[in-house]
Amino acid sequence: MIEADVAIIGGGPGGYVCGIRAAQLGLKTVVIEADRLGGECVNYGCIPSKSLITVSRLADKVKDAERFGLRATGVSVDFVQLQKWKGEVVSRLVDGIALLLKGYHATVVKGDAEVVSKNMVAVTTDLGREEISCMSLVLATGTRTSSLPGLEFDGDLVIGSKEGLDMKSAPKRLMVVGGGAIGLEFASMFQKLGSAITIVEIMDQLLPGSDPDVVRVVHRKLESRGAKVYLKSKVLKVNKKGSEAAVEVETPDGVITVDVDKILVSVGRKPRTEKLNLQALGVQTDPRGYVVTDSRMQTNIPGVYAIGDLRGPPLLAHKASKEGMVAAEVIAGMPSAADWKVIPDAVFCDPEVSSVGLTEAKAVEAGYRVKRSRFQFAALGRALIAGEPEGFVKVISNEEDGLVLGAQIVGPEASDLISEMALAIEMGATVEDIALTIHPHPTLPEAIMEASESSAGRPIHQLKI
Amino acid sequence: MTYEFKLPDIGEGVAEGEILKWMANVGDQVKEDQPLVEIMTDKVNVQIPAPRTGKVLQILAKEGDVAKVGQTIMVIDDGSGDGGAPPAAAPFHVPDQPAGPHQPQQASGPQSVLAAPATRRLARELGVDISQVRGSGSQGRVTDEDVKRFASVSRSSPSTVALQATPATTAGANPREELVPLRGVRKTISERMLKSLQSTAQVTHVDEVDMTELVLLREAFKGSAEKRGVHLTFMPFIIKALVPALKEFPYVNSSLDEQSGNIVLKKYYNIGIATDTDQGLVVPVVRDVDKKDIFELAGEIEALADRARKSQLTLDEVRGGTFTITNVGAIGGLFATPIVNTPEVAILGLHKIAKRPVVRDGKVEIRDTTYFSLSFDHRVVDGAYAARFTSRVIETVQDTKKLLSEVL
Repeated sequence: MIEADVAIIGGGPGGYVCGIRAAQLGLKTVVIEADRLGGECVNYGCIPSKSLITVSRLADKVKDAERFGLRATGVSVDFVQLQKWKGEVVSRLVDGIALLLKGYHATVVKGDAEVVSKNMVAVTTDLGREEISCMSLVLATGTRTSSLPGLEFDGDLVIGSKEGLDMKSAPKRLMVVGGGAIGLEFASMFQKLGSAITIVEIMDQLLPGSDPDVVRVVHRKLESRGAKVYLKSKVLKVNKKGSEAAVEVETPDGVITVDVDKILVSVGRKPRTEKLNLQALGVQTDPRGYVVTDSRMQTNIPGVYAIGDLRGPPLLAHKASKEGMVAAEVIAGMPSAADWKVIPDAVFCDPEVSSVGLTEAKAVEAGYRVKRSRFQFAALGRALIAGEPEGFVKVISNEEDGLVLGAQIVGPEASDLISEMALAIEMGATVEDIALTIHPHPTLPEAIMEASESSAGRPIHQLKI
Repeated sequence: MTYEFKLPDIGEGVAEGEILKWMANVGDQVKEDQPLVEIMTDKVNVQIPAPRTGKVLQILAKEGDVAKVGQTIMVIDDGSGDGGAPPAAAPFHVPDQPAGPHQPQQASGPQSVLAAPATRRLARELGVDISQVRGSGSQGRVTDEDVKRFASVSRSSPSTVALQATPATTAGANPREELVPLRGVRKTISERMLKSLQSTAQVTHVDEVDMTELVLLREAFKGSAEKRGVHLTFMPFIIKALVPALKEFPYVNSSLDEQSGNIVLKKYYNIGIATDTDQGLVVPVVRDVDKKDIFELAGEIEALADRARKSQLTLDEVRGGTFTITNVGAIGGLFATPIVNTPEVAILGLHKIAKRPVVRDGKVEIRDTTYFSLSFDHRVVDGAYAARFTSRVIETVQDTKKLLSEVL
């Protein structure tokens, strides 16, 4: 039996960060992981997908490079090497996490964890059953892909994101069911790798909940490259014919049939709570099964904490990590809490989309006198140089005092650009503050400065509207 | 008829108190003026007597609850009519418990308090609800300074929400550490000590004292003290030795009124005696020491110390001091540098009396000696003045003839 101050079930971006922080704070820490450290994000999500996306973009760019005067012939994607490289990136990060945990004297136990009581976890390891007694228990088991009835995963024709990342080649015809973040990333990626794409989304826009102006840019780009996007539509039936299938899709214009080679289902995720014995522990969950906690990550049962995806949407690695730190600090007796104002998000589709704070619609709903300003990347030197002039930066501020309420970016490196706006909101900055801050030239963040200048009423590189 | 027993105004700006102990249960008969409840305020623990004779119908504030002055804490049937409906319980706040029913909390949104993340963290560390803080920065931004100011103000005025904002004790905290909520006497001490050091310019002056003659003098008086039923320590003698010195050096027996810009010279001599109790340091005050003889002083000191240890001191017994004595002699040590009990200007530390070699008239002699340390506020009193004051006290202590004229 291992005696620990803290046992953390799940070594993903929430759990391993919680483990490092707890160990740093002098707590005897055990991190239990059934699969590989790093969790969904490092192994089957963010990291491998961005690896493939990066290569797909590069390949796409090279193929298109002639217009820059760059002649490259015989460019092709070697999937075997691509997967090998992706695996190397992932392994390096996984090893790094193990090294960090070890370095801070946190113990990692590999195996399936089952919660016996709030002070006892039983782990089925390769060597047998290991019991871990703990003063505090942190639940960080995350979520898993949900399937749709009639579209059950078979690992071959109907796959989820995990299988989508391990493909040995680009399918000739790929149907993506679910036009959310993951769906669009796969659609954009496989489109660049040569697949014919069909997207089926039940809502009336891609990336439901996102700013419609932003989504329009991505939607247009997908369609301009030949993708078929069916909104307010759903898959009725999959008629398998050998290795391919004819999929019946109900669209607002009637039922159509689409022939595909693969169906990638990305219709959301559900909490992974089976072995946590939540009911026996008396831990409160919401109607969707997510664990309910306060801002200190404490569940209703003293000494039991939950972090990350398990607490519910938004399901984001960076949110999980911060929550992991909060939980560790609270357990160590520090007055920490989740009091961030905003959680930025990023979608690595084409062009990239990122968002932080309120959208225009949400700000209006919240009763602000909303000032909205946009700056198009088409007017920005650096975006033209990069050959990616699509998209814009949109800054939402409060007309009265200029406070930044939110920002949406669609365009080159949108994921990298959003952090400035997250900082602005956390610091309570105004559009003036951003406009008066010198941004280096020629860079993409100039678009943020320009949009802010426009908000402040004195745009330079755009005609006054 | 039912009588609603409301938490009475205990005075001294006490706005709320924690119910420490009920001395009667529901159904018990209580007599008017019998001790009914023990309340811990941030100043002192007080026992509150029953306001009426009758039967306890309901206890609305449980032990550990914090009740505000005027809030009904108990319902008593005083037998003067039918029972009537008991009043609805007003919500008490229970301090230092993990946040109650758990609400899922999402990001608080850009519309929440305008303060940088580090400032918000500071507020949590200081137990301040940042949404209560008025920001002084541009557009009402809350700055670190605002948070610190709020934290110090809310401590001195108990009517604010500072108590509610106290960080919760964490179940399952680091098992090698124990969390003890800072409350009551301990909280008062920590605040007052810090305030004393932060708001005054303190210097400590130390001198040696030959106690040989006083040791003999006390022995001589011991018998008559016992006849009067009091135990005679050195303390009454020292207090009596202080009186002429305080009269001669009035600034030592003063306080600085910063608001009016006056030094208040006090023509009365109320000496606080720092007393070690289980709860921590309390300072009961012996009043008008110049008008009392050593036996009266000895009796009073004994009684106050006893009441202090039993947490029975009233507010009147701990306020109004003009000068404080702290005696660590019984515990040991050479000498300490006491912290001035503000708003007083000086404090005298007494220490262990020991036989030490002393040079007298060119010869080494064994004498009973000790050290006096006087900490004083240099804003009011200069070093030379304080040294002269101390010399004057020591002179009286060492000169039994002089002392005799004072003690009786």
